Amino acid sequence: MEHAFEYFTIAWFDPQLLLLVALGTLAGIYIGAIPGLSVTMAVSILISFTFSWEVNQALCLMVGIYMGGVYGGSRTAILLNIPGAPSAIATALDGYPLAKKGEAGTAIGISTVMSAIGGLLGIAVLALAAPVVSEFALTFQPRDYMLLAILGILLVGSLSGESLAKGVVAGCLGMLIGVVGLDPLTAEERFTFGVVELWNGISFIAVMIGLFGVSEALMQLHHLDTPAIKQKISRIVPSWGAVRKYLPLSLQTSSIGVLIGALPGTGGDIAALMAYDHAKRVTRNPEVPFGEGAKEGLVAPETANNAAVGGAFIPMLTLGIPGDAVTAIIIGALYIHGLNPGPMLMIDKPHMFWFMVGNLTLANLFMLVFGLTGIRIFTKIVECPRGILIPLILLLSVVGAYAVNNSLTDVYWMLAFGVLGYFMKIYGYQVGPVILGVILSRLIDENWRRAIISEQESLPVFFLKMVSSPLSLVLLLSVVLIVVSQTPAGPAILRVLKRQTN
Amino acid sequence: MLVKRRKRPGESAFGILLLLLSLFFAWQSYGISGFSALSSPGAFPMAVSATMVLAAVIVVIGNLRRKNEVEGGLGASARAFLANVTPGVVLAFTGMVIAYSVLLDPLGFLPASFLFLLVSIHYLHRGSVLFSVVVAVLSLAAIYAVFRLVFKVVLPEGIVPEREIIAWIENLFAGGAH
Repeated sequence: MEHAFEYFTIAWFDPQLLLLVALGTLAGIYIGAIPGLSVTMAVSILISFTFSWEVNQALCLMVGIYMGGVYGGSRTAILLNIPGAPSAIATALDGYPLAKKGEAGTAIGISTVMSAIGGLLGIAVLALAAPVVSEFALTFQPRDYMLLAILGILLVGSLSGESLAKGVVAGCLGMLIGVVGLDPLTAEERFTFGVVELWNGISFIAVMIGLFGVSEALMQLHHLDTPAIKQKISRIVPSWGAVRKYLPLSLQTSSIGVLIGALPGTGGDIAALMAYDHAKRVTRNPEVPFGEGAKEGLVAPETANNAAVGGAFIPMLTLGIPGDAVTAIIIGALYIHGLNPGPMLMIDKPHMFWFMVGNLTLANLFMLVFGLTGIRIFTKIVECPRGILIPLILLLSVVGAYAVNNSLTDVYWMLAFGVLGYFMKIYGYQVGPVILGVILSRLIDENWRRAIISEQESLPVFFLKMVSSPLSLVLLLSVVLIVVSQTPAGPAILRVLKRQTN
Repeated sequence: MLVKRRKRPGESAFGILLLLLSLFFAWQSYGISGFSALSSPGAFPMAVSATMVLAAVIVVIGNLRRKNEVEGGLGASARAFLANVTPGVVLAFTGMVIAYSVLLDPLGFLPASFLFLLVSIHYLHRGSVLFSVVVAVLSLAAIYAVFRLVFKVVLPEGIVPEREIIAWIENLFAGGAH
């Protein structure tokens, strides 16, 4: 603990790491901003390229991209009314009307400063809460991990998709893909069909690049001719008065962001929408109505989505359970580099934790710097036509999938999953639960077996233990609640209850 | 939760395909260790695939209740599928990507990527040939510099003797220094 500060500043005083964080943040801002490129796409492709690097360097780059990318989406939301990333959907609601009034510069300035405030608050909560959570997590039983992981997949599947059933189909598909290969406990073959190449399983990086890179690029082919609208940029750096005015609101919406981000399976996109809704309710007399360029409507989503980044790192670092698709991929990267995110990470390798917190803070500061400068070049780059962008995404995806194992098999897997992901997206299935399923499959499998073996293979005892432990009970009830509330059974039960009370 | 959106062409078929896939997985996971023990290697895959079967059935039934986006018989749906779900541009581009990954090994990264970028940018962007060539060369050079030279990613060499060329250039610089 006494070395926390020392670890915190590793990247601050190492020129190479500092440069990587800066580069990552800058790249993240552009990737997040360019419609058609997403942070998940970028991080999943980058994992394969940073495969052979030192873990510190790889993490610096990825953390920067994550932070910058969440913010970058707001720029295109304001300037073009196209959210560059899902977490910027709410930003477009008031950002674009502001830009149409000729206040694009003000809008970008406020959203940048507010993103930084939200981001810093999220990091502060991460630094304070994670040690406590991980200590608490040491008391978690295998069944609790199992329930938490299921909860994460269900949350992703139910909150962002068209229906829970489709989310469950996607999540299960992911878990089954994760099963392929030799069973880690008994070395029995599972879904290998006698093919030796499948013994090590399907490379999850190939699955990831396919689902997030290739399928997204194929989807973009439908929107080849979206015209770009040019905006005039005025003064960017906001006045201190404006910042102070929105500070109380930004504190509230940041807290929403951290909380939502910390829930397994929910990330910046949901946090931003909830914060926007909150701002709408608490702002009594906005100068301009919401939806027509209210600055409160910018402050809320921008603080919340960046605060959610810090929040998402809490379950990821303390429990090994990803907060959203990006953290799922970062977990994958940590595994590759031989680190096991979970409560033991904080005890065995506290330097990794503080190093990560330090990087996030650094990325946040770089975001502020880059966010308030370089707008003119920015508008040029963002207008890159999709007809050029899409082939480049595909090229990078192919190179990325190939680079991991130097094998063309991974490239073919990636293409197959790209086509599958394309159809899934067209028909309203989320691809997020698939990747969460792949990452969490092994965790659920192992913890289930550990739990049931310790109860002498007795299901009744297993359930009895589950309902008698407060934590397991809460988790179990959350799982049941999600399922019931999203299926026809939920409203039916409510109707019956209403009839009885009447 | 009922989906309000009308069914896209092929949506029912896709739902059934996923159901069949889940049934296949269920049958395969039964084959791993049957119902021997709750902690057997097959228990988790069986539970997951059973859940997937259930969810896929719900999706299929939900699809039955929804109206089609395109009215008319099977022929009309098939035409709508081709027009909206797999339009020519998607099919053609997917074909190019597959051709690219097949050619990657025999031709090597540089020629295959150049061909792929040239053809696909020319096809998607619809600019002049010269423009496509310039964009393809410049972006390939940038990607090669970043990934092959900086990130040291190993890429298929194929017909271009890259290693010799890089070594020759390095020698040249080393020679110049002496």
